[in-house]
Amino acid sequence: MSEKLLEVKDLEIIYKTDLETVQAVNGISFELNKGETVGLVGETGAGKTTTALAILRLLPERNARVLKGEIDFDGKNLFDLTDKEMQKIRGEKISMIFQDPMTALNPVMSVGDQIAESLQLHNDNNETKAEIEKRVEESLEMVGIPASRKKEYPHQFSGGMKQRVVIAIALACNPSLLIADEPTTALDVTIQAQVLTMMTDLKEKLGTAMIMITHDLGIIAETCDNVGVIYAGEIIEYGTLEDIFTGENHHPYTEGLFGSIPNIEKNERRLHPIEGLMPDPTDLPKGCSFSPRCPKCMDICKEVNPCSFEDGKHRIKCHLFDGFEGFTAADKEVE
Amino acid sequence: MSTPLIELYDLTKYFDVAKGKRLHAVDGVTMTINKGETMGIVGESGCGKSTLGRTVMKLHEPTSGKIIYDGVDITHYKKRQMKVIRPKLQMIFQDPYSSINPRMCVQDLIAEPMIVNKMYKSKIEVYDKVSELMDTVGLAQRLTGAYPHELDGGRRQRIGVARALSLNPEFIVCDEPVSALDVSIQAQILNLLMDLQEERNLTYMFITHNMSVVKHISNEILVMYMGTCVEKCSSDELFANPMHPYTKALLSAIPVPSIESKDKKIKAIKGEVTSPINPKPGCRFANRCPLATEECTGADVPFEEIAPDHFVACCKIK
Repeated sequence: MSEKLLEVKDLEIIYKTDLETVQAVNGISFELNKGETVGLVGETGAGKTTTALAILRLLPERNARVLKGEIDFDGKNLFDLTDKEMQKIRGEKISMIFQDPMTALNPVMSVGDQIAESLQLHNDNNETKAEIEKRVEESLEMVGIPASRKKEYPHQFSGGMKQRVVIAIALACNPSLLIADEPTTALDVTIQAQVLTMMTDLKEKLGTAMIMITHDLGIIAETCDNVGVIYAGEIIEYGTLEDIFTGENHHPYTEGLFGSIPNIEKNERRLHPIEGLMPDPTDLPKGCSFSPRCPKCMDICKEVNPCSFEDGKHRIKCHLFDGFEGFTAADKEVE
Repeated sequence: MSTPLIELYDLTKYFDVAKGKRLHAVDGVTMTINKGETMGIVGESGCGKSTLGRTVMKLHEPTSGKIIYDGVDITHYKKRQMKVIRPKLQMIFQDPYSSINPRMCVQDLIAEPMIVNKMYKSKIEVYDKVSELMDTVGLAQRLTGAYPHELDGGRRQRIGVARALSLNPEFIVCDEPVSALDVSIQAQILNLLMDLQEERNLTYMFITHNMSVVKHISNEILVMYMGTCVEKCSSDELFANPMHPYTKALLSAIPVPSIESKDKKIKAIKGEVTSPINPKPGCRFANRCPLATEECTGADVPFEEIAPDHFVACCKIK
């Protein structure tokens, strides 16, 4: 049995401004075992990135509030740690790859120095400068960049190469958890393929667990073990890759998401998009947040937010599965 | 029998970037788009697909080659002559956030092309047409006075579509019209574009980097690499029987959203696109190509019909 590394429990986050309150994350829970990959898929504004930032405790302090929930990492609740302790974890135990490699790097520092920076900050074994230099070179070689380029600056690299540098920085300290926030969205497909192959290879080699945040179901199918589909700050369906990509039982939103993408392997003339738009996170509808767009909406959906119904690992948050064969209610209904 | 609407012969667009340095953005593109059909242009960023679209619209002056619209050579049309036929040739732009004026409301944005081209005599006629167009593209009438910042990307792109349609065009260049949108919204816009094509017998040149979108919407597909045509054939043929090594690489690089794909893992090709400034003669894909030999780098590779209606530029394929 694999060991549990991270558990996010009933996380709720809001962004508060003078005028309104944005309900960004409304009760997200998931777990991650060592060496596994969990994918979070959803549309813009679904709360994917906010969840990731919460794990690293990087939410903007000025307006973000964590209302509820726990994030247990390696047996410790991250919200109980002091800033100092958190700094030890960031970069060393948990690190992150950001979406846009063009802005994630410091333009006036050579890439070698940027990798060395995180190694120096987490230098527990008192390594000498020469040893750190050597590790910088190893990290670059690991992501397929010749070590001789370590003195070069970000503008001398192409987009794909920059993302490799970002990955090298993230993996420099051998973290046990890597959060990849849309790591390939800014890249071309052939370069995306290179970066994804490299990431999965490195993950296997180093045994890192990964949270893959993306809006691309293709990337999810390619890289993940478990998948959570996020809509309006909630995981509306969660399960293994097989649960989500096969079988008949799905949340209507998941079905809509699959209907929206033109499938290369099928010949269909018309797509089946989801009507309407994402709900305004400052004013979420009563009941199930997907109900205004849902083709299978029932009366109860407009009144009561459904709880999750479980079939083994497969979890669906929808009234349709109340009393459905094989599914049992997971928790009490929430208002 | 289908009649050609747009014909391009050996169309070339170079940009002078510095003394003695020329960027070959589009290099010898020949193709025909038939009335009522969609030509998909695919390629990675920097391969010249947007420049091609803009050159066809004569937003860039072509360096050489010919553009024929409806049997008339428009390559050397002056600005004033273009103004007369522009209403028939329209464009939908990539980014709905930067392509519309943030200080104009929806109604004025859609009316603008009609006012500029003096389509109607009275304002009432123009605004009647605006509300008709809003219905066509699926914008609610209550949004007439709304400003772009109040709208989401999907609705903004609908404004872009309405603006392009306002002059009753025959030919629309769609330059990545859905790449800035979320998947569920993307599908709505794609359905809209296809419905409009059926209703109005529109001809599209659909530029995108997304292979699954292009397959969905196109009759024919042209694959570009560094300004040159690499492969051109019908959409079904391209996906069933890709010939050029670059097309194959492109297809195998796409992550497919189905579980069976986990076994046949994506195969990545090595290397990156080299600089399009003063490129060496020969196949431009040669440095990344798994099949490349010396033969590929000597002279330019002809774009030949290998199978009926299937054009490929590769000397390894005969």
